[in-house]
Amino acid sequence: MVQERAVNEPPAADRVRLVAIAVWLVVALGVIAVRFPDAFGDANRTARANAALDLVDRELGAGNSVVPDQALLLEARAWIPRRGTFRVAVGERQDGWTDLTAPFAETYATYFLLPRRTEPDAVWILCFACDRAEFPAADAVWEGENGLSLLRGER
Amino acid sequence: MTIRAIAGLAALNLGIAVLGLALLFAVRGFSRLADLGRLAGLGYLLGVAFFGVVWTELLVVGVPFTGLALVATLVLGIAASLGVGLALGRPRPGRDPGVDRPVTALLLSASGIALVGLLLEALFRAARLQSLQAFDAWAFWVPKAKAIYFFEGLDEQIFTTAAGPTYPPLVPILDAAAFHAMGGADTVTLHLQFWFLIVGALAALAGTLAGHAPAWALWPSLLVVVVAPRFGERLLTPQADVLVDCFFVVSALLLALWLRDGCGWRLAAAAVLLAGAASTKREGLLFAAILLAAVLVASWTRRRSTLLRIGLAAAVVGLAAPWRLWYRSRDLTGEAPSELGLGSSLDRFLDALRLSAEVLVETSLWSLVPFLFLGAIVIAAIWGDRRLSWFFGAVVVLAFLGGAWVTFSYSSLPVTADEALNPIVRYTGAIVILAAAAMPLLVGTERRGKAAGR
Repeated sequence: MVQERAVNEPPAADRVRLVAIAVWLVVALGVIAVRFPDAFGDANRTARANAALDLVDRELGAGNSVVPDQALLLEARAWIPRRGTFRVAVGERQDGWTDLTAPFAETYATYFLLPRRTEPDAVWILCFACDRAEFPAADAVWEGENGLSLLRGER
Repeated sequence: MTIRAIAGLAALNLGIAVLGLALLFAVRGFSRLADLGRLAGLGYLLGVAFFGVVWTELLVVGVPFTGLALVATLVLGIAASLGVGLALGRPRPGRDPGVDRPVTALLLSASGIALVGLLLEALFRAARLQSLQAFDAWAFWVPKAKAIYFFEGLDEQIFTTAAGPTYPPLVPILDAAAFHAMGGADTVTLHLQFWFLIVGALAALAGTLAGHAPAWALWPSLLVVVVAPRFGERLLTPQADVLVDCFFVVSALLLALWLRDGCGWRLAAAAVLLAGAASTKREGLLFAAILLAAVLVASWTRRRSTLLRIGLAAAVVGLAAPWRLWYRSRDLTGEAPSELGLGSSLDRFLDALRLSAEVLVETSLWSLVPFLFLGAIVIAAIWGDRRLSWFFGAVVVLAFLGGAWVTFSYSSLPVTADEALNPIVRYTGAIVILAAAAMPLLVGTERRGKAAGR
């Protein structure tokens, strides 16, 4: 009997190894048990929140935090030809602007309006409370609130 | 946001997976039909890396990136790889004799696949209608992709004036390919492309580890990383961080298995993946250097394989060079810190080390994964495969020091975990994802355990 037990039992080092692995596995399974419902719930919440957005909110994404009026970007995309160019002119901060509007309006417009390119002397001007006197030959094709307008000038 | 766009994306990713499987056929062959399925994820990641690296070189020399050229790349790549495989007499998949696996292992695998699948399904629904929010994504990653899509190349204006002008173009190339596949620059459905990358990376890890690690170690390791708080938040962001991490981690796994079985095809596959990493993000070159150094540490007695290691390094550097030549020819700088950052103070170095340590053990980001990883390395060092513990231990230490060096050397980076100001959290993600690849081998392998080169 004693001999049989000695043959079947693993040596002490193996037993310690098995205990260490068992502890590791228990901790891992515990983390999964705690975290899986949260991770699954988070993904579902994100899916529901994304589905609840309207088409324009979804398409503009971060632009909603940068440009105070979605219409400016949509009008610009509709008016400016795909091979056309535009520039962004930013003036004094207005009510309704966020901290991101003045510093990042051009960056966002560059991304959103591609393949339309930015150009310093472009005919099309996305005006963020800009000084209209700088563009005497430009007419507004669209004007919104918060000092926003889309201008078309002359070459 | 349409079914047509989703179907197009699925077709593109299927094509990339077939390309990668053809590459695997060229370097190793498939003796069993089951290997095709098991290695489909690895094949997919290889296809992504190969496609991205090839197109990086093609764009640098001015080849237009059109829909037709995209399809031609896939078709020619598949045909050439199959031709090489046949010419080299690689084994072709035959009738599968069937392998008897214990019922418990099958049940564990089925449970693991079900749980991972459940998460992936929820992430699919989240990705399908996700708006583009991340600053880096709309400030430069996606504009570069749009530029490649609309202007068919490395447009001078966008690529030299957007932020991060020295960042390699693999992700924008992949995004531009996705735009072609979707039929337009749909920046909402684009998130699904990143979902495909996650599916491919998880399949690559599970498929590569199968046969080398027991199911009881494999699936908990994958799951514990996938459910870490940080991953759900950032997995689907159209940036390069997750992809470069995937290339790094799967390369590390292939190199670890190469240390055990010496199968040369693993080195070839790792070279393609590391070249992909170097073409994905600036850290890619750092990760490649870390892995090569760790391989040296873990196999310094293997003199015969020195040539193979030199070949691996040469391939990665050679394939990464053209993009660096392109931006340097336009007087763009900033990929590496000036003077390698050695001009900073000792205090800053210590602060950088402290920041890296604090981020690595931050449970609100990674839960207990770093501690489990450390435990697995210790278990392997005492009772398991010591060469593996040396290898993964060296990778973790070097990657940790690499993160501290990034903060230390770029003096413009504040010493903070704020992601808008310092990339250390995104960088540390690579170490944590590495745990998913390493832990099954570390805890699941007994000393002297040797597996066949599968």
